[in-house]
Amino acid sequence: MLLAEKATARDWKPIIAQLAAVVGSKGIIQRREELITYECDGLTSYRERPDLVILPKTTEQVAAAVKICDENNVAWIARGAGTGLSGGALPVENCVLIVTSLMNQILKVDLENQAVVVQPGVVNNWVTQAVSGGGFYYAPDPSSQIICSIGGNIAENSGGVHCLKYGVTTNHVLGLKLVIPSGEIIDVGGEIAEMPGYDLTGLFVGSEGTLGMATEITLKILKTPESICVLLADFDSVEAAGSAVSGIISAGIIPAGIEMMDKFSINAVEDVVKTNCYPRDAAAILLVEIDGSGLEVETNQAKVAEICRQNGARDITIATEPEQRLRLWKGRKAAFAAMGKISPDYYVQDGVIPRTQLSYVLQEIEKLGEKYGHFVANVFHAGDGNLHPLILYDNSKVGALEKVEALGGEILKLCVKVGGSISGEHGIGADKRCYMSEMFTETDLETMQWVRQVFNPKELANPGKIIPTPRTCGESAKSAHKFSGIEQY
Amino acid sequence: MGDSTNDIPLPISVPIDTRELAELVTIANRSKSPLIVAGNSSKLDWGGMVRDARSIISTQKLDRLIAHAVGDLTVTVEAGMKFAKLQEILATAGQFLPLDPAYPNTSTIGGIIATAATGSLRHRYGGVRDLLLGISFVRADGKIAKAGGRVVKNVAGYDMMKLFTGSYGTLGILTEVTLRVYPLPANSGTVILTGAIEGLRNAAKILLASTLTPIAVDVLSTAFSQHLEISNTPSLVVKFATIPASIAEQSEQLLAIGKGLGLKGGTWQGEQEQQLWSGIQTGIWGSTPVGCKLGVRSTAAVDTIELLDRSTANTAKGVIHLSSGIGAFALPDASQIQSLRSHCEAAGGFLSMLQAPVDIKGKIDVWGYRGNAVPLMREIKQQFDPVGILNPGKCL
Repeated sequence: MLLAEKATARDWKPIIAQLAAVVGSKGIIQRREELITYECDGLTSYRERPDLVILPKTTEQVAAAVKICDENNVAWIARGAGTGLSGGALPVENCVLIVTSLMNQILKVDLENQAVVVQPGVVNNWVTQAVSGGGFYYAPDPSSQIICSIGGNIAENSGGVHCLKYGVTTNHVLGLKLVIPSGEIIDVGGEIAEMPGYDLTGLFVGSEGTLGMATEITLKILKTPESICVLLADFDSVEAAGSAVSGIISAGIIPAGIEMMDKFSINAVEDVVKTNCYPRDAAAILLVEIDGSGLEVETNQAKVAEICRQNGARDITIATEPEQRLRLWKGRKAAFAAMGKISPDYYVQDGVIPRTQLSYVLQEIEKLGEKYGHFVANVFHAGDGNLHPLILYDNSKVGALEKVEALGGEILKLCVKVGGSISGEHGIGADKRCYMSEMFTETDLETMQWVRQVFNPKELANPGKIIPTPRTCGESAKSAHKFSGIEQY
Repeated sequence: MGDSTNDIPLPISVPIDTRELAELVTIANRSKSPLIVAGNSSKLDWGGMVRDARSIISTQKLDRLIAHAVGDLTVTVEAGMKFAKLQEILATAGQFLPLDPAYPNTSTIGGIIATAATGSLRHRYGGVRDLLLGISFVRADGKIAKAGGRVVKNVAGYDMMKLFTGSYGTLGILTEVTLRVYPLPANSGTVILTGAIEGLRNAAKILLASTLTPIAVDVLSTAFSQHLEISNTPSLVVKFATIPASIAEQSEQLLAIGKGLGLKGGTWQGEQEQQLWSGIQTGIWGSTPVGCKLGVRSTAAVDTIELLDRSTANTAKGVIHLSSGIGAFALPDASQIQSLRSHCEAAGGFLSMLQAPVDIKGKIDVWGYRGNAVPLMREIKQQFDPVGILNPGKCL
């Protein structure tokens, strides 16, 4: 049940006065034209204007603001840089948006213990920049890393292209200072993993702002490997590239990352970013990053190249110098942006499949695209089976979005059918909540709701996200196990 | 079967499948009869004393392999499968579950997850939490629920895998789990540095700041080094598992670092190396009346071992995994618990007295909780198990 009150009953004046006492009048945005920026996050097809935006600077300010929301039954939503792709920071009616852009301090760098403490508004890339002089880096690297915030990464449990070997955000978070929806400040985890008691740090990471807001984050950093090499291999078919991925893994090699781009994506990137290093006539390319000691990299690089050739790779380019490596990665990291340039709109999915189902699923996605009359480009984390089908469309055409969402839904169902997941790193948010019941039973969802009940009993923190309700999803909120005879995961 | 947790003999039920387990839990919940939750009972005495237990319920017969997806590097098993059995299955495909729990021969996978039990391999592969991809469990009300999935990357829904790891059977009874597995390293070699504490402290610091790629780095107390026939001093034990040329090169680099600091160095391989690591894995728990899990900042690891040596006159076995700062001590009695705990807490960590005689557990706080999140944790327990039938008192 949503306790946030209806618009008609809401008199914002006293609430604004209380919030202004906390963050100052400069810390409040309420002018209509300024609020437009906050209508949506990276998922631009849904919009809702917040009534207020506040810009706190400290944990205490966040706690005081959240307490005011709690006392007045006002829904609130935390927002970082607004790059999320699942509508996790999408406002709801009559809400306050708590934006972390002024909480942008790196509070502590402890190279000897390989830990960094940051505020949530710190940009992902800044962490690596702050420690690279000492020979360290922060591993999770979403494609939006030059703009996305650590707080948002915590909320979504973000991944990136280097997660195959080193894991996603949750594997690099030691502790959190949280403001929970009652306005209390709670410390979970700490400087060391596995403090006594339940792992609330692990529970919170990926909870998409529904359990509260992280205001201080202790991250683990890693030593930059002695040697790094990126290998670009191009193939005549997506299947061949997929077999090469399987070959690499079964040879016992775990690269830092393995990424795949299909022909359409390659050409989109070359049109827009002009890296001049991706062959336009290839059906697919693989980017494989290998790291370790000099000898390890040398040996594994030769093995990976050999496996790619055995699977029909035409050309193999190898980059070892930082500049060359970045050049090879540049196009991959800019792939989504490139789609935005060549198509009026695009809709990206984030399904995960067992790696061994890659060829089958890609063929099925192509068929679905044909059925719906939309082009689907594929750029994805091949090493861990995390697909990013990009559906290109024109939102100005009436009914286009509905059709695209239906196609996206079919793709997600396909991922679930082969034993996968509806999201690998973007989160469920507002976008995919109605597909949760494809993966989970009512009992599963009820158990998740227990967790929310403890942290967020009035559902004021990011209401309506993640778990489907009849209000947000109608009948599909209830259905589950649509594929009889197949165990659903 | 004796209930070593409470020193009272209790009946044990051994359901043959998930459905039967769920029925038994439903009955216990309805009749408000607290259960001690067990796998194969290897760590039944770990943690707090369970209050008012009427019976033990064991998952040991839920021991089927559900799926080993070799190409996807994942395995799904029932929670009662023994760790040793799973490793055998995985080894046939050249893979392994990179955990080194205290009781490798008797532990079940469910028990390992419930206690977050792993050791030296944390350095490269992380803790149990980092390997658990999906769970199914029987809730306190007897209903069966699941979370996560069978793929290596998945953010759909709350991460209950993290919540259940280390929750000591207090939130639900695991019935089926999916884990990430890894290729078995084909080669390995271990470097041992021994000598004065000052030299070891510097070696540890240089090693952590280096680009060397060991899979395990442990600091061992004097008594543990003696027990493992390494030396009569504390030691730093470092395992490399990569291509042979790199093992040789990295070992040489580390030996040179040790030499420069006045430490003695040696390399162990083959059978001897395997026995050493098996000794580190199994040599602490159950070897003395009091067994502790602890954590300190990695920069405090060597000093903590020195304190253990000093306060026990070099008689207590102890290990700290350097990069995580997590370790284990075997103590003859509880006389040093408070001072060691204060030290660990000052070093940013904790000390939990997991194993101890019942009378000691009655007197000294077992867990050593820190911070202000305990009320929230208790609310979670209350929400998941309102009647309090699942290991009440075990933790929280």
